[in-house]
Amino acid sequence: MNQETTTEIAEKADDPGSGANATDERLSHRGPFQRLLTSPEIGALIGAVAIWAFFWAVSVPFGTAGGTANWLDVAATLGIMAVVVSMLMIGGEFDLSSGAMTGATGILVIMLVKDIGELGGAGLNLWIALPLSFLAALGVGWFNGTMVERTSLPSFIVTLGTFFVVRGAKLGFSKLIVDNVQVGRIDEGAGYEFWVKVFASTWTRTEHQFDNRDVFYNQFLLAGLVFIALAFFEMNFRRSRTGFSVWTGVALVGAVIGLGAYAGMHSTDGTSINWILAIVAAAGALIGIVGWARWRYDAAEPAAEADAGSMAVAGRYTLIGLALVGAAVLFAWWLDSTSERTVAFLITIQGLRAMLFVSLFVIGLVYLSRAAGAAGRAPNRNVFGIQMLIVAVIVAVAFFIQIESASRKFRTEFFSVMLLIALLFAVWSVVSLISAERRTPDPAADAWGRRLVLVGVLLAIAGVVIRLLFTTTAEIEAGGVPPASFSVRILWFLLVTIIAVFTLGRTRFGSWAFAVGGNKEAARQVGVPAARTKTQLFMIVSAGAWLVGMLLAFRLNSLQASTGDGLEFEYIIAAVVGGNLLTGGYGSAAGGAIGALIMAMSAQGIPFAGWNSDWRFVFLGVILLLAVIANNLIRARAEASRR
Amino acid sequence: MTDFTSDSTATAATLVEVRGISKYYGNIIALSDITTEVKSGTVTCVLGDNGAGKSTFIKILSGVHHHDDGELIVEGAPVRFSSPRDARDHGIATVYQDLAMVPLMSVWRNFWLGSEPTRRFGPIKIVDQSKAKDIAVEELAKMGIDIRDPEQPVGTLSGGERQSVAIARAAYFGAKVLILDEPTSALGVKQSGVVLRYIVEARRRNLGVIFITHNPNHAWPVGDRFMILNRGRSLGDFAKDEITQAELTQLMAGGAELEQLQHELSEATADT
Repeated sequence: MNQETTTEIAEKADDPGSGANATDERLSHRGPFQRLLTSPEIGALIGAVAIWAFFWAVSVPFGTAGGTANWLDVAATLGIMAVVVSMLMIGGEFDLSSGAMTGATGILVIMLVKDIGELGGAGLNLWIALPLSFLAALGVGWFNGTMVERTSLPSFIVTLGTFFVVRGAKLGFSKLIVDNVQVGRIDEGAGYEFWVKVFASTWTRTEHQFDNRDVFYNQFLLAGLVFIALAFFEMNFRRSRTGFSVWTGVALVGAVIGLGAYAGMHSTDGTSINWILAIVAAAGALIGIVGWARWRYDAAEPAAEADAGSMAVAGRYTLIGLALVGAAVLFAWWLDSTSERTVAFLITIQGLRAMLFVSLFVIGLVYLSRAAGAAGRAPNRNVFGIQMLIVAVIVAVAFFIQIESASRKFRTEFFSVMLLIALLFAVWSVVSLISAERRTPDPAADAWGRRLVLVGVLLAIAGVVIRLLFTTTAEIEAGGVPPASFSVRILWFLLVTIIAVFTLGRTRFGSWAFAVGGNKEAARQVGVPAARTKTQLFMIVSAGAWLVGMLLAFRLNSLQASTGDGLEFEYIIAAVVGGNLLTGGYGSAAGGAIGALIMAMSAQGIPFAGWNSDWRFVFLGVILLLAVIANNLIRARAEASRR
Repeated sequence: MTDFTSDSTATAATLVEVRGISKYYGNIIALSDITTEVKSGTVTCVLGDNGAGKSTFIKILSGVHHHDDGELIVEGAPVRFSSPRDARDHGIATVYQDLAMVPLMSVWRNFWLGSEPTRRFGPIKIVDQSKAKDIAVEELAKMGIDIRDPEQPVGTLSGGERQSVAIARAAYFGAKVLILDEPTSALGVKQSGVVLRYIVEARRRNLGVIFITHNPNHAWPVGDRFMILNRGRSLGDFAKDEITQAELTQLMAGGAELEQLQHELSEATADT
C-alpha cells in the first residue's frame, strides 16, 4: 500500500457517510428457506422425518400408537442424556462417565432406601434419599469439571478415569453390601407411592376414549399447516405499505366461503354434496388467498424478457422429469406388487417395485424443480407453468397409488398427505406469481413469521398428540386396538429439552457455554467465568444422569450393577447426529433431542420391519456417517450463503 | 464531527503517561527507559521491528506484566496494575489480533459477551435480545460498520471488520485508551485500509489510541505521535510535525541498515 492511498482512506474516514457506510454488497438477503437451513439441527430434522417415513412405509406396527409409544420410550432416556451431553459438547468438553452415572445414581438411591438388615442399606425415606443422591450426582459433575479445569487435561481422559471409578464402585459396593450384581428393590422405600407416579406412571391409550378425536386431529393439523404457510408468506414476500383495501374484503369473503363450505362437509353424508362443498371450499380458499396476497403484499414486479437459453434448459429438464415419473408409474404397473419371490440378495419383486417407483419418482420431481429453477431467470409465468405441472404430477401419482397400492395405509393416509403437499405447493405458486419477494431485511416481519411457525407447529403437534393418546368407540368395536402405553418419561424428555433450548438461547449462561466451547481464551478475556461455566455444564450432565437413573430405578424396581455402562457413546453419537460440532462452540440442544429420536427410531424400527436386529449397528454407523457429512455440507452452505 | 471538536477540554487531557519505564527478565533488558504519552483524541504509534520490545510494552500497559523501573501514570495518578482486569477497570482496553472473538458466534453475542444485558422474566433473568441487537448494530454503525444482520457469525466477517467489532466493543464498554496490537499485520492492503479507517474513527470519538505496528506506512497517515523502539530502547518520541515519513521509515529500519538494503536491492534489480 503506498502513502497516497492510505492517506486518502484516512481522510475519507473523517467524513462519516462515505466509504464504510455504503451498502455492503457482499451480504445478499437470505430468504426464509435459506435461513431455515442455517440452524444446526435442520439436517437432523430432515433425517428424522425421512427415517420415520421409511419405517412407516416398510413396517405395519411402526406408525401405530403402540409402535410410537415404543420408540418414544427408548428415545426418552437416550434423549435426556443426549440433550445435556449436547450442552456440554457445545461447551467444548466430553463426559465419558455419563453412561455409568445413570446406573450409579439409581443404585445409590436403592441402597439408601433399603431396610437396614442382613443385606445392608441405609433405610432412608425416599424424600431424603432422592435429594441426597441428587447432591451426590452434582458432586461427581463438580469433580469432573474442577479436575478438567485444574489439570488442563483433556476431559476425554479425566472423565474416562471417573467412568472407571464409577463403574468399579457400582460393582464393588453392590457385591459388598447386597452380595449380588442385581440391586433391588426401590419399592421398599417410604414414599414410593408418590415418587413412582412422578418417575414411572403411564398413560394407557385403551383406557381413554374420546370419540371426536379425529375431528380435532384433522382441524388442528390443518390449522397448523395454514399457520405455517402464512408464516412463510410473511417471511418471503414484501409487505405492502397500503392499509386496508378492497382486497381485504375479498380475502374475508373468500375465507368465509371456504370455511363455511368446509364446515358443511362434515355435517352431511351425501357423497355428491360433499364433492360440491369441497369444490366450493377450494374456490373460497383460492379467492381468500389471492385477496390476502393482494392486500398484504406488494404486487410482483413486471418480469424480464424471456431468455431463450434458460428456457431451453428448463424445457429439457421438464421432459427428463416427466419421462422419469412416467417410467416410475410403468414399473409399478408392470411388476407384481404381491410377489415375494427373491430377485437378488434380500430383495423381493415387491421390494424392487417399491424402490424403483420411489427413486424414479423422486428423481423425476428433482428434475422438474430444477426446470422451475432454470425458468426462474425467465418471466414468472413460465415458472408458474412448471410449478402447476409439478402439482399435476403429484396429484396424478397420488391417484395412481390410491388405485394400485396393495397396502391400505398408502391408499388412505399417504394419498391424503400427497394431495395436501400438492395443495400447499399450488397455493405457494399462486402467491409467488402475484406477489413481490422481499429482498431486504425486515426484522418485524421475521419475528411475526417465527411466532406463526411456533403456533402452527404447536397446533399440529397437539393434533397428533390427541390422536396418539385417545382411542375411539369405533376403533374398539372394530377390534385389534394395540394397548399402547405412554410413559411419563416422555414428558421429562420434553421438559429437559425445552429447558435446555431456553437456557442455551436466552440466558447469559447459554451464551457463555457457546463462547467457552468456541474460543475459551477470547471468552476469558472479556470476563466470562470460563472455569465456572464449564464446571456447571459438567454438573448439568450429572443432573441429567441422575434423572435418567431415577426413571430407570422406578421403572425396573431393581437395577443391574452394569446399568448404563457403555451408553455414553450413544449419547455422544446422538448429539453429533443432531448437528453438534464435536470440537464445541456450535450446535443446539434440540439437535441432540432429534438425534436421539433418529437413533431410537432406527433401533426399534428394524425389528418392527421384521429384519434381524443384528444389523442395527450397521444401520447406526451408516446414519452417523451420513449425518456428519450432511451437517458439514449444510453448515458450509449456510456459512457461504451469508457471505 | 462538531460534537467532538466542541469538547476541547477533553481533547487536551493526557490519559496515560509513561515515564522512563524499564523491564528486565532476569539479566535480559527487555525495555529500558521508555517515555511517551497518550492524549485523548490522539493516536500514538509504537513502531518497531520484531523483538524491539513492542509486546513487552503492551503487556505492561495492559496489566499482564509489571514494570521494574519508572512510572506509569493514568489520568494523573501513578498506577501498578494487578491484572488485565485491573487495567480494564482503569479504562485501558487491549484488542489482540486473534484472541478477541468467538468465530462461530453471532456478531451481537460477541459484542456483548461477558456483559449481556438482561431483563427479569419471572424468577429468571433472560438476555434482552432485541435491546442487545439494536445497541450492537447502532454502536457498530457509529464505527462506520454497517452490519445488516446481527445474527451473522463473526467468522464470516473479514479480518478488518472483526478488528473493528472488537474496537467498537471496547469503546462501548467505557475504554478511554485502546491498545491495538498489530491490527494490520495479517491483513491485505484493502483490509488494512479498513482498520486504519476505524482507528481514525476511534480518535474522532475522543479515545486515546496506542497503535502498535511494524509498518510505518500504516502508522504515518493515522498517527499523531510516533515512538520508535529498537532492541528495547526508544529511538525517539516525536509529534507528527517533528518528523517526516521518510525519516520515520529510516529510523524504524535503523538508518544504515535500510541504506544497505536499498543498495543490495538495486544491485539485484540491475542483475536481472
